[in-house]
Amino acid sequence: MAIQIILLCGLVIFSALAILLRDLIKAALSLAVASLLLGIIFFRLAAPYAAVFEISVVAGLITVLFILTIALTKKGDEITEARLVKLAFPVFLILFLVIDGLVMKSLLQKIPALPSGPESGTFGEVLWKQRTFDLVAQVGVILAGVLAVLALFRKKEEDKDE
Amino acid sequence: MSNLWFLYIFFAALLIFTGLYCLLTMRNLIKLFIAVEIISKGVSLAIVATGAVKNNILLAQSLAITYIVVEVALVATALALIINIYKKNKSLDVRLLSKLKG
Repeated sequence: MAIQIILLCGLVIFSALAILLRDLIKAALSLAVASLLLGIIFFRLAAPYAAVFEISVVAGLITVLFILTIALTKKGDEITEARLVKLAFPVFLILFLVIDGLVMKSLLQKIPALPSGPESGTFGEVLWKQRTFDLVAQVGVILAGVLAVLALFRKKEEDKDE
Repeated sequence: MSNLWFLYIFFAALLIFTGLYCLLTMRNLIKLFIAVEIISKGVSLAIVATGAVKNNILLAQSLAITYIVVEVALVATALALIINIYKKNKSLDVRLLSKLKG
């Protein structure tokens, strides 16, 4: 329990650092560390497949994409954020902590959640047999993403030709 | 078990708040997208933790994996858009986008 709390606190701290740090590379690396901590939390929740995806895809691939984008947009660092934003963040965070602590417990009793009861079979059976339509949708989403990226960059090439 | 669920949902809500605060206040497009990522971390934590507490971890894992795949497609598309916006405006300031005509 104590380790879980430390991991969850680390996750929130690194996420906060990701938005508060001025240097975008450092912010992207903080986000990667937060993903890594989330992956460890998933492992501890007995969700190894989700953890592997979280660490390899989110902490790995997405961080690489972020750093690539930051490298391609060098002047991104020059935008000055309002000073009040960073100063007011801890105040709002503490305010939200208090409200969260007071309200969440009573909310959880009212929110419908997944039904309790032991599951049968393995992860493979659940993913490939019960959630087959999800997998089809995933293929569609990946194709849509690839086509969108191709369309966005092809347009620029046409502009150059003109 | 209820206390454990409360703990995870409490921290998931904190992550979502952190992301929403950044989305509402920051001006840098990459920072805004980092905020979207933080919100998605909060959501996936809530999905997996609820599955673990309610003894439905296999279903929760498959949903989390679907969510991560959707997230990757979103990131790739959005970062390509950000690069295109930067090439056009030479800036990542979100306020410049309000000057777009169309």
